[in-house]
Amino acid sequence: MGSLVALNIVLPWIIALVIFLVKKDIVTNWLTILTLPVLTFISYLIYIHPMPALIQTPHWVGSLITLYDYGLLGYFLYLGIKNNRIWVVALALLQVLLLTLVLIMIKENPTPNIYVDNLTALIFFIVAVVGVPIAIFATKYMEYEEKDKHKFVAIIIWFLGVMNFAVSANNIEWFFALFETTTLASVVMIGFRKDKEAIDNSMLALWMNQIGGVAILLGLMALIKNVGVYHFTDLLEFNGSKELIIAGLGFLSISALVKGAQMPFHKWLLGAMVAPTPVSAILHSATMVKIAPYLILRISPIIKGTLLSKLLVITTGFVFVVAAIIALTQDNFKKILAYSTISLLGLMMLAAAIGTPLAITASVLIIVFHAFAKGFLFVEAGVLEKVFHVKYIEQMRRLIERAPLTLMFIFFGFLAMTFVPFGTFVGKWIMIEEASNFLTHGSYIVLILYVGAGSAFLSILYMKVLGISVRKAHGISHVKFVTLPKRFNFVSVWYYVWILTITIFIAPFMVDVIVPVVKGIINSPVPVENESLSLVIKDSTLYFWQIIGALVILLLIHALPYFVKFKADIVHPYNCGENFPRYMSTFDFVCIQKIENYLNVFALALFIAVIIFGGGLL
Amino acid sequence: MIETMLVLFAPILGGFVYGLERITRARMQSRIGPPLLQPFYDFFKLMDKRPMMVHSLHALMGIMYFVAEWFAFAVLIFGNDLLIAVFFHVLAVLALVIGASSVRSAYSVLGALRELMHMISYEPIMVLLTIGFFLLTNSFNYRDILNYEGYPVLELPLVFFAFILTIPMMLQKSPFDVAEAHQEIIGGPEIEYSGPFYEAVYTAKWIEYIYVFFFVFLFGGSHYWLGILLVIFTFIFINLLDNSTARLDFRKMVKFSWVFLIPLITLNLVLIALWR
Repeated sequence: MGSLVALNIVLPWIIALVIFLVKKDIVTNWLTILTLPVLTFISYLIYIHPMPALIQTPHWVGSLITLYDYGLLGYFLYLGIKNNRIWVVALALLQVLLLTLVLIMIKENPTPNIYVDNLTALIFFIVAVVGVPIAIFATKYMEYEEKDKHKFVAIIIWFLGVMNFAVSANNIEWFFALFETTTLASVVMIGFRKDKEAIDNSMLALWMNQIGGVAILLGLMALIKNVGVYHFTDLLEFNGSKELIIAGLGFLSISALVKGAQMPFHKWLLGAMVAPTPVSAILHSATMVKIAPYLILRISPIIKGTLLSKLLVITTGFVFVVAAIIALTQDNFKKILAYSTISLLGLMMLAAAIGTPLAITASVLIIVFHAFAKGFLFVEAGVLEKVFHVKYIEQMRRLIERAPLTLMFIFFGFLAMTFVPFGTFVGKWIMIEEASNFLTHGSYIVLILYVGAGSAFLSILYMKVLGISVRKAHGISHVKFVTLPKRFNFVSVWYYVWILTITIFIAPFMVDVIVPVVKGIINSPVPVENESLSLVIKDSTLYFWQIIGALVILLLIHALPYFVKFKADIVHPYNCGENFPRYMSTFDFVCIQKIENYLNVFALALFIAVIIFGGGLL
Repeated sequence: MIETMLVLFAPILGGFVYGLERITRARMQSRIGPPLLQPFYDFFKLMDKRPMMVHSLHALMGIMYFVAEWFAFAVLIFGNDLLIAVFFHVLAVLALVIGASSVRSAYSVLGALRELMHMISYEPIMVLLTIGFFLLTNSFNYRDILNYEGYPVLELPLVFFAFILTIPMMLQKSPFDVAEAHQEIIGGPEIEYSGPFYEAVYTAKWIEYIYVFFFVFLFGGSHYWLGILLVIFTFIFINLLDNSTARLDFRKMVKFSWVFLIPLITLNLVLIALWR
């Protein structure tokens, strides 16, 4: 087991190194393609192992990581000085100071430093199945007018290794190192094009994420000082008064909120769109931002029912709704996707923070589906950008004629993000039904409002974008099927088939994959059952015929237009006999932009409330 | 058995409701109005017309709107969870909006966008409504509500009040017929449909009637007579409102829903949750 986990972590690093050094097309391409089955197989082997597993590591690894910490912070300092960013420098120095304090305070602890449970295994699996195809996509993407293909692909694969390491760390000090390594990876990738905009945005990502690093260190200090434990497993088994550890957990939650790009710290994730599109794909789907719900899931059994969890629910729920509303005002396709990620990350963390078995089920399910759907959508955004030169939604007009296949995939990705019977919908459904039980205890009604409103806003967002792209005047005969590169098609079809398969077999998927994960986290029975492919949750059932019916309707809506030709007379639109508009815009929701700053301020206030009241600092 | 019948004959039942509505409305305006079967005469006439379309996608979406609407109703009746049925209803809106957006016609596209505004106005209310029923019966299954001994309408008065004010948004009645707005954008999403394809959209609306009034009926609990009375009351009230009010701006509709109706429902839900 230990060697498998080590292999899963080290292998991407080695592959990345080979690609980086050899710099040959054939090596890069084939090695990347080979990574997919290899990593998938390894994560499968880990998955079938008995869980959970605690793995001892040699002593020198710990020392190495401490050394590496300093090196990393030194590099941040260097970046800050080189680019003349006072915030980056200040935060890096602060972290060096705090890290030194932590190292002075820390006491030797025999708990193993690597902890692999079902949640970790699931994320390994997502990294392999969702993350690696993005690297494959990147091998082709970077051949379009981009430089340094090999370096880029190497960084992506390395990032996957870092992510694998981060989710298996048990020692919070190690987790800090890896948290900051993911920051480093995102900074390198966002600044990859090295022009001014790229550097600016990478520095933005750097200082914002460093706040998360500072928060982890502060949390670590609080934990060590109050109770002397600094491992996730020790925290979970902690028996004493919760008040002793709640401050540390409050700081950890703050770091999760920052990493999860929750408002007002969402700008860095938006900034990632200046980088080549695979960067966005990898940041949004399998890696980086998923650390945020992962971290909340880890601590959710402890914070369940505390004020901290309630404040987290309020904060993330607020972001869920507001990010969806702000997304309506955007006109850049990648920005829209970014906002919807921010929004759904809010939902994942909200569900994780509630901490009941069903809520955690919803959270994990949304993590899985969001990874697939967002990877898919960003890959398609990359195709649009490189093959069809479309970046803004206004340029998406008549996409149905110009890029039918890509539009079909985008359509499907959007459907998977919000509509029945896909996983995100199931997640929301479970959330609402779960929250309904709490109305008798307290005021969870806000949560239901959040979920109901947020999902409505996300639906109209997607419908708005789709509406623009299907607009056309006359028959469907002008459809041009552009031949796309094989690797693009492979990746698209890969995601499509995965999403479709999981959706059809959602009941067994929930019972056999999600529920063990939830049991690993919270160790209590989960009322989810599979009755001949119908999904039963408590008394409610999502029947198999409903799943298939909805899928058939949606398949007809998103794929059939290319194949159905009615034998009827073709006429011009009636349009009341007026001239056809040459150009039609859509609602741009400017009224929301006016209040955006207020919303940000309110989100900041919620942030502070989380740490002050939730962390019990008063 | 009665469930199957209800689902199978939902369009026909809806047609009768629509015919009745036209008569009621006419009587309110001191007219005689068309015969009860007028919607069906229209139906046959439309079927008989020469099929014309702008393009296949548009025509197909009209049909899909009808199919999705019917399927949503089937999910409502055969399923055991109201919340799922509410979410299925969104599929129908999806088909309508995609279809209406796909033609180069200002009225149709504007109608589609306004249809989205309708959705954000009524969708959260529908979700809260199901939760209201859940609070009474501890179940999302409508059969449990139909067996509920108490009087849901008395326990959820504010929810009922808010819901009957939401119905104009769902059924495109004045003052909230923003998406259709016949005098303004000439039917909105439906303007470009004609002949048999229009008939699909037209019939889908009949099913929408049944879908909405079924929710009203649930407010009667196990007292079916009360449910029927409520349906009749709502029916007359909606038509009265439709006849006596002028259309509002879509902003006002969204505001009305979010600033007035949703807080009202929330208040009711919180009170009932505390009381239990």
